[in-house]
Amino acid sequence: MDLTAIEIIATLAKALVVFTAGMMCTPVLVYAERRLCGFMQDRLGPNRVGPKGLLQPIADAVKSFFKEDLLPANVDRFLWIVAPAIGIAVPILCLAVIPFGASVPLTESYTLIFQVADPDVGVLYVLGVVSLGIFCTTMGGWASNSKFPLLGSLRASAQMVSYEIAMALAVISVVMSTGSLKLSAIVAHQNTDWLGVVPEWHCFTQPLAFLIFFVAAVAENNRIPFDLPECEQELVSGYHTEYSGMRFAMFMMGEYTAIGFMSALIVTMFLGGWSLPWIQLAPASGPSWIGGLVSILVFLVKWALVAFTYIWLRWTLPRFRYDQLMGLGWKALVPLGLANIAVTAFLGVVL
Amino acid sequence: MGVKKTKGPKRSAWTEVYLPEIFRGMWNTLRHIFFVKPFTVQYPEEKLKVPGFEASPPGYHGEHRLLLDEEGRPKCVACFMCQTVCPPQCIEIEAMEVDWPDRDKAPKSFKIDMLRCIYCGLCEEACPKDAIELTNQYFTISRTREDKIYDLERLTHNAPDALSYNRPEGLKPEKP
Amino acid sequence: MTTKTTVARTVDRSSRNMVLNIGPSHPAMHGTLRIVAELDGETITKATLEIGYLHCGFEKLAEHRTYNQWLTVTDRMNYVSALANNIGFVLAVEALLGVEVPERCAWIRTVLYELSRLSDHVMNIGLMAMDLGAMTPMLWSFKERETLYDVFEACCGGRMTMSYPRVGGLARDVPKDFKERVRFGIKGIRSYCDEIETMLTKNRIWLDRTQGVGILTKEDAVQYGATGPVLRASGVPYDLRKDAPYLCYDRVDFDVVTSDTCDVNGRYHVRLDEMREAVRIVEQCLDKMPEAGPINVDDYGVILPPKEKVYDQMESLIHHFKLIMEGMRMPVGESYHATEAPNGELGYYVVSGGTGRPHRLHVRAPTFYNYQPYPLMIEGRMISDAIAAMASLNIVAGELDR
Repeated sequence: MDLTAIEIIATLAKALVVFTAGMMCTPVLVYAERRLCGFMQDRLGPNRVGPKGLLQPIADAVKSFFKEDLLPANVDRFLWIVAPAIGIAVPILCLAVIPFGASVPLTESYTLIFQVADPDVGVLYVLGVVSLGIFCTTMGGWASNSKFPLLGSLRASAQMVSYEIAMALAVISVVMSTGSLKLSAIVAHQNTDWLGVVPEWHCFTQPLAFLIFFVAAVAENNRIPFDLPECEQELVSGYHTEYSGMRFAMFMMGEYTAIGFMSALIVTMFLGGWSLPWIQLAPASGPSWIGGLVSILVFLVKWALVAFTYIWLRWTLPRFRYDQLMGLGWKALVPLGLANIAVTAFLGVVL
Repeated sequence: MGVKKTKGPKRSAWTEVYLPEIFRGMWNTLRHIFFVKPFTVQYPEEKLKVPGFEASPPGYHGEHRLLLDEEGRPKCVACFMCQTVCPPQCIEIEAMEVDWPDRDKAPKSFKIDMLRCIYCGLCEEACPKDAIELTNQYFTISRTREDKIYDLERLTHNAPDALSYNRPEGLKPEKP
Repeated sequence: MTTKTTVARTVDRSSRNMVLNIGPSHPAMHGTLRIVAELDGETITKATLEIGYLHCGFEKLAEHRTYNQWLTVTDRMNYVSALANNIGFVLAVEALLGVEVPERCAWIRTVLYELSRLSDHVMNIGLMAMDLGAMTPMLWSFKERETLYDVFEACCGGRMTMSYPRVGGLARDVPKDFKERVRFGIKGIRSYCDEIETMLTKNRIWLDRTQGVGILTKEDAVQYGATGPVLRASGVPYDLRKDAPYLCYDRVDFDVVTSDTCDVNGRYHVRLDEMREAVRIVEQCLDKMPEAGPINVDDYGVILPPKEKVYDQMESLIHHFKLIMEGMRMPVGESYHATEAPNGELGYYVVSGGTGRPHRLHVRAPTFYNYQPYPLMIEGRMISDAIAAMASLNIVAGELDR
């Protein structure tokens, strides 16, 4: 494989941009969550720090940064320190393979794709790295050497493992209908319109898989209605009880970056990625600057809608009890996922 | 008989599938985001105001003030009724003999510990001379606990613009 | 400390179960309560309760305060529905004295009692929802409570600790636009109830979390002395407003709401429907209330004379002085009078030695008796169920510990 200089520079630049975008997920989503939660509750969210409260996340970051860095005496030191780091590293790693937009012609010979890396096994890579995210919650709870975090981390590990299976089954149907594991191929597959009217996004062609994946994604992110590991009312903060200051902020950052990543993944796999319904942004004649930049905007709008749905769900629904949650994962989603695969396979052969 | 038995909802296909009721709830929350005006009152720029009414009628149990008579002396005759009736015992009065035409005693010192006070209004009720009343001023801060022990001087000048139950239009302008 | 060893002795530390201290400071405890739970995985095998963290000696304080002074303490027991406590207390003292308040005062007290019942139930529904994860209804509850606070503030000057009634009447007359203010205050309650029904009642997540959870059978409820919505949700139609009427409840038309399900869902529905019944009662009271009339009894040995008389007449001044300094003239004797507070039967047992201060005053706090069967409700269930059950009991720690 020959790597030209331009490829190396472009990849490094993209990696830097994606890393920054991943870290910026947290302030944007924290602000959005607090404001939207306020509006849903008939009140205003934070609106004093900066115009309309836009500088609130900065104030929060500064506060977390200046808090005392405690290390409780009885914790398992290495695991306790590493857990939040894994929490934030995993979603950013996953962001590397998401296609953010159609390609643009950078120079005459080189087309810039808006994806840091496009491996042939993109979907497998994503599923694998997401599994590593379980370590964050498990280690955080176990290393804290305290009962409430232990309960939280036990719940978290069981929950995340179960819902990953449901997620994978939903993804398999998508991969089957696309015929490839490459994420860019999945987006390209959705880039057409059926009869020129309805875009062939997988949320329309595979609605059940979309539903299963969405539910599993919310469960993977430990958001209400699946937020048993960290619910305040039962376990005092769950697996991040013993953390404070910057380490707690890193857990929060990891959680919000994971929400950002999952939203991006849902957009890529089910909502057509960067494609617009009737306007072709990656025409067969070749990549164009306009198409590329508009596609990034389209992606961001869709991402924002999915993230809004995450926040919307959180403040509307009560949470599941532990056994009901596991029952839903194993007894409802997994059989549905398998049925969906069977139906997709059947229709794929027949049609 | 007047007994009403309430039943929970029946579990049917509509409830068991989760989604219809979840969507109903989500629509309701969405309605709150866009169509319901926030209930927040941006204090201190705006003050609490009951919509449709002028305001609460004055009579809020806020801070105390001692009232003065025509000669500018506190009306208090140091009868100790407010001190006796105060449930947390936060009023301390010392009386002194005076030779004025309308009374024999006046307070030498009159201290109320505003942090012990429960703002119940029993002292206002107990006063036979209409000398102490609770106003609708509620927002005074201080930096030390000692600052919040109001003495005679502070109480006579406290809350000059505030309204009270007996003086719904406030103090008359000619009072000092 | 004896408490620690007593609790420790009931907990079997040699078993393999984990002992979890759902401790006094916990985000979900409604006040400072402690549950020492032995867990087998997520299931609670044994729960031991510990209360008393908020004990302030309210009843002992009564021996050193006159009746109207101690009234300010009753506010702080069930601080969510302060007027209910106040009115219950003055009714007990008036029963001992043998005085009857005038018509208008009785109607006003009924209205205020029902408004504080609304305030308590609205808060409990919001807290129940929050403890189960749906955090939005709690803020909507507080919005409804704000409009009720405005009514209370217009009447008596306080929003949470009112101390509005006095033995023999009320401290002040209600404002001139009292009826309009009350109608405005309850305007939103019916739509609030309907909105909560939209969000929660048929939601399968809510049903799974609340149906069959925190079961308190009829026999257990009666044996433990539970009252109020907890008892009525277990199927016993016992409501003091119908069984031993006081104030104006025998002149208004309302239903006692019961449920057969004995679980958290039943208590939730009972409270929701009781809110609707309370709005019905308030509307009827506002229609039937006399427009004008005396507020206080005509006996200045019991209640303070009006200030105009105190400034002018010597006799009124002497009454005033004696009432403040010594308290009212009480006969020697004892009385127990109970009212149907939002949480259940709130009873005051007043023993008077003939002086202005009670000899002994005991409060039958409904929360104390409702909380006793709590281990029965949670043993064998999971922690999530324990939290749901506690929220449905409406534990107010001020009243529990006094």
